[in-house]
Amino acid sequence: MERKRTIGFYLATTWLALCAFMTVFGNMLPFRAYDDYDFDAIGVGLFSPHHILGTDFDGADMLAAIIHGTRMSMIISIVSVIGASLIGGALGILAAYRRGWVDAAISMYFNITLSIPTLILVLAMVAVFASPDPFDPSAGLPRSQVLVLSLTFVLIPVLGRLARSSALSWTGREFILVAQAMGLKRRQIMWTHLVPNVIPAMMSIGFLAAGIVIVVEGGLAILGVGTDPGQSWGSILAKNRGDLSIVPHTTLIPAACIALTVMSLNFFGDFFRSKIDGRESRI
Amino acid sequence: MSALFEISDLRISFETKRGQLHAVRGVSLDVGKGESVGIVGESGSGKTVMSRASMGLLRGKRVIRSGSVKLEGVELLTMADNEIREYWGTRIAMVFQDPMTALNPVRRIGAQMNESLIKRLGMSKSEATKRSLELLELVKLAEPASQIKKYPHQLSGGMRQRVMIAMAIACGPEILFADEPTTALDVTVQAQVLDLLEDLRKELDMAMVIVTHDLGVVAGHTDKIAVMYAGEVVEFAPTRELFANTKMPYTEALMKSIPRLDRQKEKRIPVIPGRPPDPTEHNPGCSFAPRCQYAQQKCRDEHPTLEDAGGGHMYRCFFPIGGR
Amino acid sequence: MAGTGKAHLRDSGSAVLRVEDLVIEFSLSGGVKVKAVSGISLDICEGETVAVVGESGCGKSTLAKGIMRLIDTKSGSVNLLDTDLAQLKGEDLRKIRPSMQMIFQDSISSLDPHMKVNELVEQPLKVWRRGDEFARRDKVKELLNSVGLDPDVVGERTPTEFSGGQCQRISIARALALEPKLLICDEPVSSLDVSIQAQILNILQDMKDRYGLSLLFISHDLSVVRSISDRIVVMYSGKICEVSTANALTEHPRHHYTHALISSVPIPDPTRKVVGALLQGEPPSPVNPPSGCRFRTRCPAATDLCAAEEPQLREITPGQFVACHHPRS
Repeated sequence: MERKRTIGFYLATTWLALCAFMTVFGNMLPFRAYDDYDFDAIGVGLFSPHHILGTDFDGADMLAAIIHGTRMSMIISIVSVIGASLIGGALGILAAYRRGWVDAAISMYFNITLSIPTLILVLAMVAVFASPDPFDPSAGLPRSQVLVLSLTFVLIPVLGRLARSSALSWTGREFILVAQAMGLKRRQIMWTHLVPNVIPAMMSIGFLAAGIVIVVEGGLAILGVGTDPGQSWGSILAKNRGDLSIVPHTTLIPAACIALTVMSLNFFGDFFRSKIDGRESRI
Repeated sequence: MSALFEISDLRISFETKRGQLHAVRGVSLDVGKGESVGIVGESGSGKTVMSRASMGLLRGKRVIRSGSVKLEGVELLTMADNEIREYWGTRIAMVFQDPMTALNPVRRIGAQMNESLIKRLGMSKSEATKRSLELLELVKLAEPASQIKKYPHQLSGGMRQRVMIAMAIACGPEILFADEPTTALDVTVQAQVLDLLEDLRKELDMAMVIVTHDLGVVAGHTDKIAVMYAGEVVEFAPTRELFANTKMPYTEALMKSIPRLDRQKEKRIPVIPGRPPDPTEHNPGCSFAPRCQYAQQKCRDEHPTLEDAGGGHMYRCFFPIGGR
Repeated sequence: MAGTGKAHLRDSGSAVLRVEDLVIEFSLSGGVKVKAVSGISLDICEGETVAVVGESGCGKSTLAKGIMRLIDTKSGSVNLLDTDLAQLKGEDLRKIRPSMQMIFQDSISSLDPHMKVNELVEQPLKVWRRGDEFARRDKVKELLNSVGLDPDVVGERTPTEFSGGQCQRISIARALALEPKLLICDEPVSSLDVSIQAQILNILQDMKDRYGLSLLFISHDLSVVRSISDRIVVMYSGKICEVSTANALTEHPRHHYTHALISSVPIPDPTRKVVGALLQGEPPSPVNPPSGCRFRTRCPAATDLCAAEEPQLREITPGQFVACHHPRS
């Protein structure tokens, strides 16, 4: 019962594959470096000689900047989503299976964290943990690391609640009773029976969450607490925001990358969703 | 004498990813006024699809329908949606298996019952409430006045089914379709509901079509029985005749494979081997041949047509039990 | 509140299962406690099939889960081969599990949809380390064959590709992997087609003979129960009304509820006069059951004695026990 693979699916796959490639090999490509400023071509538009995507007001080549920015954007979103999935997923499944006070405690933790506005939380964590000077490690952690940690922290309850409700829908099934009757230990039941059935639901939301993280990172960059300027798409966008009226392509290109990535991730998420729905509707 | 309700060569297929699913392959039967007809079959026999289609449901794009379904001579199958909607609830009534899903869980019983009376018969609210109470008494629901204020989940399965029946007969229909009306109920409650349907049928001179897998239910409460297998009627006879003089091997095998209280305990229950055929496949011969203990080569090559044994007894078999 | 007694228990020598005065309670919202099972006692001898029959809400499924210790019991003992399960906890309880297994009504839901059939049937052997990889694989093949499934055809598929009847066969194969002494079947055929029911019942019978099993069969369907069981226990509202051999119960029911139950079963014989419903009304609420005999509110033979005193099980004819002050003759 596979959903037909539409053209959207292939486009999404291509784009994401491209992003993955850039993340890993971006630095080794024979493009000019992102911080090699070309002072002869400041603020030139698209399809200029030597600068196919133009340059920004510092003279940085947009194409190189985008390729360089891919790495940080991808890493931040992937690491935070995977981290949150692992921790949130484990907590959610534990809460669903154990119920009682374990469930109450974990759910309370989720609810409290969810009730704190995301941006306030991230700002607070950056202020506390991050070093204000990117070159002084003793003053705190690098900003990007703190960002990843805080985004993970914020995502844990989101994915955790999803894992919990998905696991709850499975704990009512007879095969869990059968596992107990068979003499499986609690941990075995959760690992063998709940985790594999919860993972598909989490994966489909995970893709959507990854997209959201990229956008949030952009917002944080505009607020001034994103990664250092030029390191990620969001921070490229933030850096060039002021020049929007003069050289709009410097803002629109990173925005387009973010948009394309989010759309591709959404497509993937939808694809997984339809795969799971097909399976669960037969049960 | 033309029957109240006639189905002629009804064929229903569905467009699915796996190909055309032939759920009903040419069914013909008739129901006289005030008569009770049972349709018996297992899952996959097409009985539910057939009953839904003959009520006028199943009108989607992927449903391919042919044949004829007539209520008092008026063709229902080709009727427009808004026209057939007028029939539902007034002339054709339905009772389904799970009253919990048929009743709106967020509305009180009284409100739901009044709704159809107000819309269909144009009653005022107070008239409708009075009539609803009368109907609930008719279906022998205890303490109707307090029940109408309740929500469906506050009633037991048997009570909900009675409410469903009350709603169904509210406008005095000519024919009632009951699709597995008692399958979800306890056996003592089932007996009560079947009694009730029988009483109502006689009081309102209403025809009834009971679709079920339970031979016991149809044995005691029907005038005629149609046995369905793989989308066709394989035997159709007056009830006593069907049991006394079974012609189709499937019917016989089905009767034998049911554990019964009135028979001696058997060590091993005779089973019908194998499984019903896949509705997407098309078999040249008799659909039951692969599982039939009497099957012969002709059964695998040719498709048997419905034969008349006289006395309203139809069967679909080349080598019926007891000869032709 | 006392149960209906233990008169029907036989001497404990040959019993595989012996349940005495089992009480299972639930807490509803609002702190109200409900006794789903009120003092039930029953026993199963080796190689015997005992059925527990009753309508919805009588507590039979709860009883089965309580015996399996899938839910907690309030009081009473559950002796499986001389070990009181009610007293066991944690690891001790876990170790006894291979001796008793259970199959459920919803056969498809009983199988983890992401596992293959081979894995499902092998799981108990793996968990309890019975044999090495090859021995386990052979055992799985043997089990699948014994329930009438071809291991090469079904082995690598997932449960979603099978029908209810086939899933039930897989569940039975899995349940028997550890060769338990007791198999509890909770409405195993109720969701299946009529002709498939017979197949599954025959398989259970075969397995019983082959593995020397004892069966506790829970059902609401008297016809099914009679065909497969040696002894029948009739439950009503958490209590036992009657215990008897299968034939005696269906031919001469002594309790009025049993009689009503039997009369309600529609017989596929149009020449028999339809008796019609003997019982009106609904079973009592378990929160506030009637005093004395719980069936008295719907019983045609109820008297003041029935309200005052709860009847105990007593032997009315050899092998037939009934809890009634005025049993049928």
